Amino acid sequence: MAALVLDDVHVEFPVYGSQRSLRRAILERATGGMIYREKRGSERIVIRALAGVSLTCRDGDRVALVGHNGAGKSTLLRVMAGIYEPTRGRALAQGRITPLFDTMPGLDGEDSGYENIITAGSLHGLTRAEIERIIPDIEQFSELGEYLTLPYRTYSSGMGTRLAFSIATALNPEILLMDEGIGAGDARFAERAARRMDEFMGKSRIIVLASHSEYLLRATCNRGVLLHSGKIIASGTLDEVFERYRESTHEPLAG
Amino acid sequence: MTAGTTDIDRSELRPLMTTAREDLLRGLTRWHVYGRLGWLDVKRRYRRTALGPFWGTASLGLFVAALGSIGVGLWKQDAITYVPFLAGGLIVWVFIQAILTESCALFIATPGLFKQTRLDYSVLAYALVWRNVIAFLHNLAAFLLGVLIFTHNVGWPLLLLIPGLALVVINAVWVTLFFGVACLRFRDLQPLIGNVVQIAIFVTPIFWPPEVLQSSTRIVFVTFNPLYHMIQVMRLPLMNQVPPRSTYLAVMLIAGVGWTVTFAVFDYYRRRIAYWA
Repeated sequence: MAALVLDDVHVEFPVYGSQRSLRRAILERATGGMIYREKRGSERIVIRALAGVSLTCRDGDRVALVGHNGAGKSTLLRVMAGIYEPTRGRALAQGRITPLFDTMPGLDGEDSGYENIITAGSLHGLTRAEIERIIPDIEQFSELGEYLTLPYRTYSSGMGTRLAFSIATALNPEILLMDEGIGAGDARFAERAARRMDEFMGKSRIIVLASHSEYLLRATCNRGVLLHSGKIIASGTLDEVFERYRESTHEPLAG
Repeated sequence: MTAGTTDIDRSELRPLMTTAREDLLRGLTRWHVYGRLGWLDVKRRYRRTALGPFWGTASLGLFVAALGSIGVGLWKQDAITYVPFLAGGLIVWVFIQAILTESCALFIATPGLFKQTRLDYSVLAYALVWRNVIAFLHNLAAFLLGVLIFTHNVGWPLLLLIPGLALVVINAVWVTLFFGVACLRFRDLQPLIGNVVQIAIFVTPIFWPPEVLQSSTRIVFVTFNPLYHMIQVMRLPLMNQVPPRSTYLAVMLIAGVGWTVTFAVFDYYRRRIAYWA
């Protein structure tokens, strides 16, 4: 069984080195909203990224995270990954969590493709033996051939994407957290990538996917959550959530 | 799915938080991660160069040759004792200095790792210290080669380099974590520490023997200089001498105080690291 539970999660970012003028502007404004001062009279500026998010994901849940820029989607994913510890509330989980965010961590231009596979695998918590087991799969799917022995910086950007995609989808996550899906390179590869993506996601017990692409979310997910200014304002079927999302586009952004 | 559902037994789930203790101990078992990160850093320095990290060794060698000649005249030293003193002190100093300055960038330079995946922060500190140990071993090899060629002054006290290195490494880890966290939060510290380290090489007995200082200045720059003891615990074995008990006590005392403070800081601020990055 895999599970992911958030209980009343709050996340507040301190802003250091802000301009005095900004500080004054905020101090003069009434408190409340996304950006506020920490205490009355305090000079510390804080951004409230999540404000009381509660969410329960069970086996089989494929959750679409919907919301405008700055609604808190990426922050929420990082809380689920255990990267941000909530400033208030708690996050609990069972099952191996695999976060796939904007870049594959640890890829270095000077290292060969094989070396990068091993580094990325270790950073995702795989043992050396587990990495050895997925290498043939990555070799076969990425179609990089001899290039895997060359430094990563010699790859075209499409080849780089193929390597990152092949590594990511060779992982065996129980709980998969994704921000904007994973890019897949040229058209021919994209077709194979779509099939592999399906298989890969089929292996995961829980998926949380943040995206602006309704198409991608509808193809992948079976439930939706709408974030607005760090709060969940709608949760339910994809139809309900997208309808509410479209309504909210006509409302002012920050609360 | 909806807020407040109760049919999941929360007691069966693990909280997604890590204590400082877990971070340090679990991180230590991740040898395949920090060993690899540290080794790859060194390996990249070898790429496309003939000497790789030995370039650092070569420049140290030149420095020792030049300064050795001056020091022998300046402090009326005997070349046979002064040059090994200078060379030994310098290779230890370069090791300590690199750790001090690199530790400031520990978290500033690596958000690409710890904000993309969940990583025990201590792993990054272990990797930093490990890559500097590898660099030190390069310099050590050259030093021993020089000793074998010129002075033949090697004996069993050289074995004391192993506990000496171990003690310095234990200190290096707290230094790395402490300055890593402090410099991430207070960005002024990084240039400040850079400046202090630059001066430290002159006020610590590396170029000059501690005996040239007397009374109170000696107490300030030698006795109460933690860097001096760190250097002594490794330099004396390199010079085929046994470090006095007071050196070991000083180094262990620094480790005890340093780890106590660092653990408290890490325990309190660990969860803020991702927020400050």
